[in-house]
Amino acid sequence: MAENPDGPHERIPAWDETADAMLADVDYDADLGKRMADDAIRVANGELSEAEFHERYHEEVKAEFGRDDRPTDPENDD
Amino acid sequence: MTNYGLVIDQERCIGCQTCAVTCKQENNVPMGQFWNRVLTEGGDHIDTPEGSYPEDGETGNLDMQYQPTACQHCENAPCVKVCPVNATYTRDDGIVEIDYDKCIGCRYCMAACPYNARVFNWDEPEHRPDDGTGDVAERPQGVVEKCTFCSHRVDEGLDPACVVNCPADARIFGDLDDDSSTVSEYVANYNTEQLLEEKGTDPNTYYVQGEMTPGRTWTSDDLESELDDDPSAESVSADDAAGDEPVPHVPAEAGGGDD
Repeated sequence: MAENPDGPHERIPAWDETADAMLADVDYDADLGKRMADDAIRVANGELSEAEFHERYHEEVKAEFGRDDRPTDPENDD
Repeated sequence: MTNYGLVIDQERCIGCQTCAVTCKQENNVPMGQFWNRVLTEGGDHIDTPEGSYPEDGETGNLDMQYQPTACQHCENAPCVKVCPVNATYTRDDGIVEIDYDKCIGCRYCMAACPYNARVFNWDEPEHRPDDGTGDVAERPQGVVEKCTFCSHRVDEGLDPACVVNCPADARIFGDLDDDSSTVSEYVANYNTEQLLEEKGTDPNTYYVQGEMTPGRTWTSDDLESELDDDPSAESVSADDAAGDEPVPHVPAEAGGGDD
């Protein structure tokens, strides 16, 4: 877990390969998974709001999985 | 509100892998999988030190540090945010868990976890012995799994297995929302770090470096909050402590002369 010289939201190159291996042959859209993973870190470090994150991927998630039950939905605020 | 967290004292950790093994046994973790790993920092590969061996009368400078790593139970967990079916969720007590009945195996959570703390059951789980170990049911093929802070034990008022069985007392578990708990006091009073702090995930796992803590100061299986007496209080009388005496890791030497 070396520090990333390109900044906190950019993936370490070696980790990018690891993520590719994790998502290899997945039954779902691997590219969507990687983009969401990157942006989830941006949400964590405050670069992106949960609402923006949810909105950004809502349609794609629904299209891919037929549902979007992520807890980031602002309407599910409890 | 309870908010469970773990302190790992890296000055006490001896890299013995007991946490990794006891986790596998307790949680019925399949062959080839680890929820709890002891990584090393030093040489170019795991379990290799940097520096050189002392040879030909020279002074060696070998150095290797242990980095126990499992799910960090982040307050701001990216894995929870990406799960399209809400199978990964944060309990009210801060423990991040997976509902294996909901998990569809998309592995997005694995890609989102900056700690590489999750594993995927590519195949049917295999165990030695065949009927498994521990009290936790095996997870089916095609789901992601990970450390649960032994939530099945925590729910019974017991510390996680890795905490109880650490021979170096390097793991301390408790309520981070209780200022008087040992975990809170260690976080406040020692030099602690969270892994990859810059990611903003705010892990509930803290690592002590620099000055060594007193470690886990009680020998019971119980959570600190379940103990009748404060185990660290010096005011506990001998009568109170009767039957609950700490068991030394190394038996005391018999006194007396040389034989």
